[in-house]
Amino acid sequence: MSLARKRSVAPTGLVLVAGVLIVLVYGEQYTGSVFVLSACYAVVTAGMAVQIGFSQQIAFSQSVFMGVGAYGVALLNTHFNMPVLVATPIMMVAAAIAALVLGSVVTRASGLALAVATLMLPLIAVGYVSNTNALGGPVGAPLTGQLWPSSSTSASLIGGGLITVAFLAIAVFVASRILTSDIGLELFVLGVDERTAAAMGVRTPRRKLELFVLGCVFAAAGGAVYAGTQQFVPETLVDPTAELALLIMLFIGGRRSVIGAVVGALVIQYLQGASNWVSVNILVVEGVLLTVVLLVDPEGLAGIVNTGIARLRSWRAGAAGAAGVSGAPGVTVATSATSATSATSATSATSATSATSAGQSGAADAVLPGAVASAAPDDSDMQPVMAPALARTSSVRERQAPSPDGSAPLLKCEGIGKEYGGLSVLDDINIALPALGLFGLCGPNGAGKTTLLNVIGGSVPPSRGQVLLDGADITRKLPHERFYLGISRTFQAVHLIKGRTVLDNVAVSCLASHQAGIVTRIARSRLDEARDKAAQTLTELGMQHMQSREVSSLTLENQRMVELARALAPRPRLLLLDEPASGLSEQQRYRLADMLRAFGEMTCVLLVEHDLDLVAQVSQRIFVLSGGRLVFDGGPTDFRASPVVNSLLVGL
Amino acid sequence: MKFGNLVIAGLVTGSIYAVFAVCVAVWYRVSNILNLAVGDFAMVGALGVDNLYRVKGLPLPVAIITTLAVVAVFAYAYDRVVLRIAQDGPRRMEGIVVTFFFTFALSFFIDGVAKMLFGTDVHAAPALWNGESLTWASLHFERAGLLVLACAIIIGGAFWVYIRYTLGGKALEACGENAVGARIAGIDTRRYRWLIFMGTAVIAAIFGIVESPITGYTYLSGATISLTGFLAAAYGGFRKPGRALVAGLFIGILEALLGGYVNAEYGDTILYALLAAAVLAWPRGLGFESAVSG
Amino acid sequence: MSPAEEGRSGAGANGAGAVRAGADGAGRTGVSGRAALNVSNLSVAYGNVVAVHDATFTVAEGDACAITGPNGNGKSSILMGVTGMVRRRGAVEIFGTPAPNGDVRWAARNGLTLVPERRQLYPELTAIDNILLGCYCWTRSIGKARKSAPFGRAIDLFPELKPHLKQLAGTLSGGQQQMVAIARGLASDPKILAVDEPCLGLAEAVARRVYDVLASIHEQGTTLIIVEEAPKRALTLCNRRVEVRNGVAGAA
Repeated sequence: MSLARKRSVAPTGLVLVAGVLIVLVYGEQYTGSVFVLSACYAVVTAGMAVQIGFSQQIAFSQSVFMGVGAYGVALLNTHFNMPVLVATPIMMVAAAIAALVLGSVVTRASGLALAVATLMLPLIAVGYVSNTNALGGPVGAPLTGQLWPSSSTSASLIGGGLITVAFLAIAVFVASRILTSDIGLELFVLGVDERTAAAMGVRTPRRKLELFVLGCVFAAAGGAVYAGTQQFVPETLVDPTAELALLIMLFIGGRRSVIGAVVGALVIQYLQGASNWVSVNILVVEGVLLTVVLLVDPEGLAGIVNTGIARLRSWRAGAAGAAGVSGAPGVTVATSATSATSATSATSATSATSATSAGQSGAADAVLPGAVASAAPDDSDMQPVMAPALARTSSVRERQAPSPDGSAPLLKCEGIGKEYGGLSVLDDINIALPALGLFGLCGPNGAGKTTLLNVIGGSVPPSRGQVLLDGADITRKLPHERFYLGISRTFQAVHLIKGRTVLDNVAVSCLASHQAGIVTRIARSRLDEARDKAAQTLTELGMQHMQSREVSSLTLENQRMVELARALAPRPRLLLLDEPASGLSEQQRYRLADMLRAFGEMTCVLLVEHDLDLVAQVSQRIFVLSGGRLVFDGGPTDFRASPVVNSLLVGL
Repeated sequence: MKFGNLVIAGLVTGSIYAVFAVCVAVWYRVSNILNLAVGDFAMVGALGVDNLYRVKGLPLPVAIITTLAVVAVFAYAYDRVVLRIAQDGPRRMEGIVVTFFFTFALSFFIDGVAKMLFGTDVHAAPALWNGESLTWASLHFERAGLLVLACAIIIGGAFWVYIRYTLGGKALEACGENAVGARIAGIDTRRYRWLIFMGTAVIAAIFGIVESPITGYTYLSGATISLTGFLAAAYGGFRKPGRALVAGLFIGILEALLGGYVNAEYGDTILYALLAAAVLAWPRGLGFESAVSG
Repeated sequence: MSPAEEGRSGAGANGAGAVRAGADGAGRTGVSGRAALNVSNLSVAYGNVVAVHDATFTVAEGDACAITGPNGNGKSSILMGVTGMVRRRGAVEIFGTPAPNGDVRWAARNGLTLVPERRQLYPELTAIDNILLGCYCWTRSIGKARKSAPFGRAIDLFPELKPHLKQLAGTLSGGQQQMVAIARGLASDPKILAVDEPCLGLAEAVARRVYDVLASIHEQGTTLIIVEEAPKRALTLCNRRVEVRNGVAGAA
């Protein structure tokens, strides 16, 4: 069984087995009913773990949709005498449709705007519900049916409990499958930075919508089983405090962990059920608990457990190595690899397995975990040996045939202009780049270099002008569409996925899942294929020995190299690099220069850099921007000699 | 004159939203945290004074001062203990988690404590200015409402003078504009952070005391006020107090008009739906930074 | 107390900056022999990247000292560590008083003011307010600040700013912003003015003007420390130089 399969089956099995046992043994007692109640909430939080925890799409929509599921089932049951078990899937479908409509509007926003817009949802919902008598108004809606209809109370209790456990197990299974699939990797990157994700081919608008709908459907399912087991829908199910309670459950348990989300729901409900004092003062308890958990570890209980396991592992793997870690802000290989954000807290990511085995065997890896953290990282890490075969390796993805050399340029910018509210940032930029070669883009701060890169990459639309790739107008194409056309880029700040290995980070750009829907990943995942392709690129770049290392344990230079590898892995036709040398020492820049020259022989590279020496050394042609205008376009010798350039930039 | 009276009522609540929105915006600029507990401090002010005065029998001025002092001390303690660890410690936390959730939790906590101390009934601080509502040109002015407006103008005016005409006020602005630049000039950004947090809490409590006679508060009232003030601040992207102020007034008036003309029961619901739609329609125009990476 | 000889060279393979105090023939002491700034064994690291390794040098009172070297080799980091913008290891003394670690406000109040890289102005405050805030470290009264000698001196030194004083700092040109930043530094009445890359992104003519101003500040008795990527320009003004290079023993 593949590792991915194991990681999704294990937690599901755990939930299923434990749940069934508890229901059978305690089903008719108070403990059992608390468990069932928390299982209802856990269905909701499992979805939240995927949506909010991993993908950072903070939307406050879950309590509302829990209400949709609950009230819907209640209405269908009391007015149409529909059995709860039939009404449930109907409501889930209804919720999906509603979420699709609402989500297509809401997910246009990102980050804080998304959060604020959806913050209104609970207010709207509670205002509507408490005033609508059809839904029982402020009193609530009762149900006549039960989740497992039976004349015997004990049978209905146990039956209802078992069905709830089944729902929970399915929820956990679906969530885990998604997270361990290749789309899961897409979601990770989406959570790190939406722009980076788009530049790596992730169809961000679609994924955001899918996540929104997913979260809402899970919530509706949770609401439905809630109604079926509690037989009553209180108005407080949809108010803001309910939403916040759900968030607290998620964060306490561990926002990035599906099992954590389940545990969080259990913890809160049991606390409420355990003592009357707690139940009455639940607000105080939740407030204190959330604050304390956030202070100790923002990843919640799952994070605490993971760190604990990792410490244990690294302690066993080599006390000497681990001891050298203490001062370092980064974490050792083993520690960070196991705290890798994985779908379960029990088992760990592939990275951990191979890393710890490397750590334990000790010998295989020339660089021991401990050495990573020392103040002066070992440069034997980095061997910039480029296999000549790199240039001619078969491409990872289909791409259009390159244009015949010489005549038609690969990239053309014609008359590009960009204004931001009256301020002109780019003015009449005309650039042509051939299919191969290394080209520099320089200029003082604020001259528009990054903006031009953004225009070419697609994250910023120009106010005027056109961008042509192989003669075709791509000006209106989105970043992920440009990625498919062969444009790949890096950003100024390092945006790697913390807690994942180098291999996974590079695999982000090798994913073949972009066109697929999120639901398909329940069945099959092609993550291993992407990983293989990433491994190939890493080998060609001489970086294979660090492929199992967790990225935050790397030096800045190596992190930059990982980003370069990620940009290079899909064999792009145009590579846009944004200040790759920033923060590097002189010696590191020499190595970078060698790398860049090799890249220039494989593809077309446009390099934005402040280090004029570096640019002059490696570029065939250099463009200089000042005040949004192109003031120089020529070779390196002319560049050094040009009076325009010298007066503009502080002397070489 | 229904319209006029509605506008006046809307101005009263709007001025509270406006003040709270300004508090949220100013503090966010300095700390990068959104204070979602603003309304809860107001609630504590109202219910605390009511409890001390009515239940414990303390003279009114003593009750007010004690409540404000407790609020101030608590706010100071919260910043020094919780926020210090979150922001100034070795593991400085960033991102939307810190921005939102710490004060979410605080809001819960305060509500829960209020429930413990004051119960679940509706209460209000005693009216500070007793009497019939005043009438002028067929417009009705509730005395408490006038008091609220007066407080808003005084406090707002004092703050404006402080910002514009004192070096301390300019230093406060500097903290919000560029924390690095502020440190270089010798400005203690952390001190301003807790000063503003304390100030926000006390100001909120004052408004709670003054406004509660109009509507009455329960221990959960704080949440809605927090949210609306927070929303008004959102309309300046959380960074522009001026816009937040205007937005607060606007929302207050809109709320009153919707309740009076459209539908008393669903008025608030429609209001929130409109506000949400506005955020979705013009996120850039309203000043939201896009994608926050957590 | 270390004399102006070679600093120990750092051998960090990760590009740690080695600091050598270059002794040029112009003589190493300034007006008086007193040490304005005394740096011993300064180390600055960002995470696991060591930027400065064991820097040791002295700047005498009245000196104008240039810290030069290629980009990314630690020049700015030395200044950040010395002024307290970032935490450091090692000892820093300002006129004999040991400076606490990582406290740039203390430095501002004790005679060492930093004019940072990229200026770090307050974009939505007016230029004059930006400069006024330089006085914050020694007074809280806006009246006193306005009438004070350091503030007046700061304003007078930049006549070309006069028509722009009420403009928002964010709308000024790069050169004007640099002047505002220096004026803000002066308003704090420093004994030592540390300037980090004053000419970043400025045109040649503007850069020359900036250096003219720095020269007059120096003539009026303020000790200067300038981090500068182009040594030629700095050496027109400076009588001392600290060369930061990655372990390479180049000529000063």
